[in-house]
Amino acid sequence: MTARILLAFSALSLVLGANTASAQDKTLTISVYGIAQDAYKAALYDPFEAKCGCKIVVESGTASERLAKLEVNAAAPTVDVIAFSDANALEAANKDLLAPIDTAKVPNLGEIYDFAKDPLGNGMGVGYTFYGTSIVYRSDLVKIDSWLDLFKPELAGQIALPNITGTQGPITLFMLQKAIGKEDPTFSDAIDLVAEHKDDVVTFYNSGSQLIQLLQQEEVVASVTGRFTWPSLMKLGMPVAWATPKEGQTGGMNVLSIVKGAKDPELAQQFIDYWLSAEVQQKLADGLVDSPVNTKVTLPDDKAEMLTYGADSAESINFLPPAQQLENRDAWLQNWNSKVAN
Amino acid sequence: MFANRRLGILLLAPATLFVLVGFIIPVLILLAGAFRSGDTWTLTNYIDFFGQPLNREVFVRTFRLGLIVTAVSAVIGYGVAMAVVEAGPKSKGRLVAMLVLPLMISPVARTYAWLVILGRTGFVNVALTSIGLTDAPLRILFTETAVFIGLIQLFFPLMVLPLISSLENMPRDVVPAARVLGASWFSVFFKVILPLTREGLVVGGTLVFVGSLTAYVTPAILGGSKVLMLETLLYQRVSVANDFASAAVIAVILIAMSILTNMLLKRLASVRRGR
Amino acid sequence: MRIAGNLLLTLVLIFLIGPFVIICIAGLSGGETLAFPPDGLSLRWVQRVFEVESFRSAFWLSIALAIGSTLLALILGIPAAYALDRYNPPMAETIRNIVTAPIIVPGIIVGLALLRHLVVPLGIPITLALIIGHTALLVPYAVRVVSASLVNLRTDVEEAAVMLGASRLQSFFKVVLPNIRSGILAAFIIGFITSFNQVPISLFLTGPGVTTLPIGMMFYMEFNYDPSVAALSGLLAIMSLAIVMLAEKLLGLSRYV
Repeated sequence: MTARILLAFSALSLVLGANTASAQDKTLTISVYGIAQDAYKAALYDPFEAKCGCKIVVESGTASERLAKLEVNAAAPTVDVIAFSDANALEAANKDLLAPIDTAKVPNLGEIYDFAKDPLGNGMGVGYTFYGTSIVYRSDLVKIDSWLDLFKPELAGQIALPNITGTQGPITLFMLQKAIGKEDPTFSDAIDLVAEHKDDVVTFYNSGSQLIQLLQQEEVVASVTGRFTWPSLMKLGMPVAWATPKEGQTGGMNVLSIVKGAKDPELAQQFIDYWLSAEVQQKLADGLVDSPVNTKVTLPDDKAEMLTYGADSAESINFLPPAQQLENRDAWLQNWNSKVAN
Repeated sequence: MFANRRLGILLLAPATLFVLVGFIIPVLILLAGAFRSGDTWTLTNYIDFFGQPLNREVFVRTFRLGLIVTAVSAVIGYGVAMAVVEAGPKSKGRLVAMLVLPLMISPVARTYAWLVILGRTGFVNVALTSIGLTDAPLRILFTETAVFIGLIQLFFPLMVLPLISSLENMPRDVVPAARVLGASWFSVFFKVILPLTREGLVVGGTLVFVGSLTAYVTPAILGGSKVLMLETLLYQRVSVANDFASAAVIAVILIAMSILTNMLLKRLASVRRGR
Repeated sequence: MRIAGNLLLTLVLIFLIGPFVIICIAGLSGGETLAFPPDGLSLRWVQRVFEVESFRSAFWLSIALAIGSTLLALILGIPAAYALDRYNPPMAETIRNIVTAPIIVPGIIVGLALLRHLVVPLGIPITLALIIGHTALLVPYAVRVVSASLVNLRTDVEEAAVMLGASRLQSFFKVVLPNIRSGILAAFIIGFITSFNQVPISLFLTGPGVTTLPIGMMFYMEFNYDPSVAALSGLLAIMSLAIVMLAEKLLGLSRYV
């Protein structure tokens, strides 16, 4: 009996030890969005592992969950490099969770668009992709020309909106406020509008793929999403269209940052540099995973069509500056929770 | 009973210490957080928590769903338990195994299945529209109805199993005797069966009620952001806002409910035995 | 009455078990997305389950965790149950309340408490926290199920063994353990399944490279919408079915629930 228990335990420690044993080699722990992990593995993780002779450990999840974890583990960081939205990154930087990036160690910074080089303005984040955000809709069933069209009576009970806790939620309110035509950084008119129609909203979704599922199962006929879901939406084989509302599109940028207290900042910078390289950015763009920020990437028209591509499209996007997001977020949340979420 | 008390203590020590250090102390520290603000002991966290309409709504919804799920499971549970007992000992084993089976399957798998079934293009809606019961597909997913269906499936076995064993322990001839004496089925149930199986009902009711209050997977998948319950709210408060004060308040509420329900259960059961 | 009862029973069984049939079929879909009825039949998503790296590592972690924490809970729980039943320890009732406390605390609170007040301040690895959390949850089951079988085992058998010259230890291993074997096996099966399917405790106790299978499935669902989770759910349902049938065959599981 005792012998058998000992045996079982050594087997157990072997399996559990698989993680700790490899920690003795060089490892880089990265925290990323959970989307398209197969594509990242092929285009980025595997080649980088081969290059650096190290092992990449991936933690994935939504940005807000990963940011919360970063804060909980601040004393003994479990992650070296984190990818999230510019607003998340600024919040993390303000909470003293990030380390500055040594630009000399990231030569590929020279090849990327100026607006992506230091989007936070504090040297703690570098943009690796950007996207436009607009309304997607079933072109066979409805027509959308304005952000306010989301609340047309014929769409009642058939729309989903992004949750305020994610990245897409606030920028949706930003555009609704713009469409209403009143300047107000607290978006109170937009929140009132959503509150008035909250029973018409099927759900407030948390991640892009949830939205894809909602459209695919015909739970909704229109919603708001970032361009990064577009390639998947095309695969549904449904007549889905990308709106060009008269108020314009919004969008966002995702950044890479080094976590304060990272075990090996050198390796982290090497990884960031590799991610920004024309080679990797080209592969990710070809796979329709991320819009490139590297100026050397060239895309054929059919692929450029699918992604947000080029300096011109970046110009046309209404970005909501991350500092402004942080400043007003508590007010949005408070207002949203009392009017919409209950 | 053996005399050597020191040996007894020695045998108990590992389990007790383990649960104390690895479980009770961390949980108590967490719960204490519900009564702390800065460096003082206070109830402001509760006032803040219940000051938010969203939190009040979630609180009421969690209890409402818990009670409805318990009541519906009890009503159906009696019917099913009686049918199982009447089926005789031969089929009983197989029937009980079929009732136990769902308990053994991952709640994630169990809940996921309902996504496919309850959606607008799902099985239920396709069936309803094709037989002409409804014109337009019903909206079920992301409503309390969806969470209710998921919870019933999850916890029904916990109600029916204690009921089966109570019914089996009931003296065999009381029901036929009451029938012979002219009692209607209705009065047989309320005057004979219900009092004699109260213990099973209380055990099942506690398991289902506490289970529903503290369910996470079902409201997370089938309810989404519009049908938050206390557990999903707790997760959201922590994972999105690092709001540990609200999390601790929710934890106190859930544990208090769980302990109260269990005490009530013991009380009810012992009152019966005492008679 | 009888017909109505059987009809109800049938409907309820369909309600309880039907979804698994549907999920199994949806997992055999040939299409890109989750749908029922499925878009043609194929095994591609079943195959995909075995290709997804995160499922594979999460599966083995969950298996190891379930076996490890169940064994640990039994090692702690069997002596405790034995002492509570055979010796008259001081504060027996208090101790019984302590060791069965984990069952009444919702799992999500356990996970959060361990993360905030054990993992972070003491810097213990997250896998250890998972083992602690799962073991704590299973100790009450182990104590209860083993206690139940000990009650049925009369003490005079042991007394006889001791009188015949066996030490207490010998009599425990030679007489008591073999006689409560089926109780231990039942506790093991219940513990394994409880740990393997556990979501709330593990929710906060995941870290880079450390994810249990149910949590991995929930994360995967958040970012992917293909039928592979349905295929995996189907496989897990079949695995559970096999365990239940095996348990029923070995020890008549219906006696223990």
